[in-house]
Amino acid sequence: MSMKASNMMYVLSDALRSIRANLITTIFTSLTLGFSLAIFALFLFVFINANAAIKSFGDRTRIIAYVKDNQAVDPEVLRKELLKIPGVGSAEYVSKDRALKELKDELKGHESILEGVDANPLPASFEIKLSDSFRDPSLISSAAQRLKALNWVEDIQWNREWVEKFSAFLRFIELAALIIGVFLGAATIFIISNTIRLTVYARKDEIEIMRLVGASTLFVKVPFFMEGALQGFLGGVLALLMLWAGQYLLLSNVPAYFRFVADVPFPAYVVFGFLVAAGVVMGVAGSLISMGKFLKV
Amino acid sequence: MIQLFHVSKSFDGTSALTDITLKVEKGEFLFITGPSGAGKSTLLRIIFGSEAPTDGQIIIEGRNYFKIPPKEITHLRRRTGFVFQDFKLIPDRSVFENVALSLKVAGVNPREVKSRVLKMLSYVKLQHRANFKPPVLSGGEQQRVAIARALVKDPAIILADEPTGNLDPALSIETMELFKEVNNRGTTVIIASHDKNLIDRYGRRTVCLDAGRLAS
Repeated sequence: MSMKASNMMYVLSDALRSIRANLITTIFTSLTLGFSLAIFALFLFVFINANAAIKSFGDRTRIIAYVKDNQAVDPEVLRKELLKIPGVGSAEYVSKDRALKELKDELKGHESILEGVDANPLPASFEIKLSDSFRDPSLISSAAQRLKALNWVEDIQWNREWVEKFSAFLRFIELAALIIGVFLGAATIFIISNTIRLTVYARKDEIEIMRLVGASTLFVKVPFFMEGALQGFLGGVLALLMLWAGQYLLLSNVPAYFRFVADVPFPAYVVFGFLVAAGVVMGVAGSLISMGKFLKV
Repeated sequence: MIQLFHVSKSFDGTSALTDITLKVEKGEFLFITGPSGAGKSTLLRIIFGSEAPTDGQIIIEGRNYFKIPPKEITHLRRRTGFVFQDFKLIPDRSVFENVALSLKVAGVNPREVKSRVLKMLSYVKLQHRANFKPPVLSGGEQQRVAIARALVKDPAIILADEPTGNLDPALSIETMELFKEVNNRGTTVIIASHDKNLIDRYGRRTVCLDAGRLAS
């Protein structure tokens, strides 16, 4: 599409004039966009943080494998054997002596209980943590079976009931977050598109008149495109400022053990890029889609 | 210059125009008359391309405009001045900007825009109102802004829908004199009006519409 230089200049100067003339609307639309995006981003961050925190509790699902007494083999060899089993993330050897020492530490003040115990009755063991992909109870169970099948393993111990409950809880949280996320996302898009639709609607006469005096659709669209992009950009920046302010307030008022909630789970430039891009895309698309029917004059 | 062949238009099954065949020569001054609701405005809008006929053919300056592609509509509008019954001025732009708009959209250079708009505003005796916004002007003044906007682009065709509807008799005659002058310079003028006295005063060709049909 070719355009004369003076025509292009008019299009741009008209866009600037239009932005000046509609400054208040632009500011309010940007604020709406900013709040909506900030709320959505806040939800996303809190969910991601909470999910990570909950999953870290899941790390306590571990399997203890007791080693048969009188093993002549070097524990390091046994440990390497363990690490070959699918799902095993790490394994720590607890020798008989260490087990006894830990028991004694736990019984501090009641050492008399151990009086008369001469030989060490405690078995050596491995504390095994499963890798992140092995959180599902059935996978944990299959890993446990394999561990138990090793000929040097006396017995294994893991909290099946706790793992199953925890995993069900995790599924519930994820489903709840998904539902809330979908509603919140839909509400965000609806609020933003409706706000933009109203600002365009308020100027439908202007759009119609421009077309009637011979303006090309491009001539009419460019100011709306630029305003939409500006509103989106400002909205994204506002959302970012609000999130920063929110994070600052949280960090300065929340007890240390709860601060993970205020962590931003993405690098700052990703957050900035996401918010501004979402704002600009919604601003521009909203404006151009809303004005479509008014252009058909 | 403008030819309509068996043009019909209906809105949701209700017929607004039926079987209109009409020829307007280049440089002609034509009145379209008839009672309210006879289809005068619809006929002007069809010639202007803001309404598509349901049936029939339209030829303007040798081109068939039955189904006008959007790009052609833009060009047609730059060669056609339309004075709307409700003026259609942009309320938050000055008189100067409203008039200048029809040159700017065509990409006329800024210096030329300024001189042509100021010349046109003095032609319609509104130079002292250049920086005013339309809502503070009287009906007659708004009408003249609308006329200035239609004339400033030196259109080949002027279409005017009840251009004297809001004016007192003295202003009506003044306005009609403007159209006459433009017509004398070679512009084709088509005016829809139900003002019988005014039409009789000028003694130009008149077509009469009645319930969407030509009644000559």
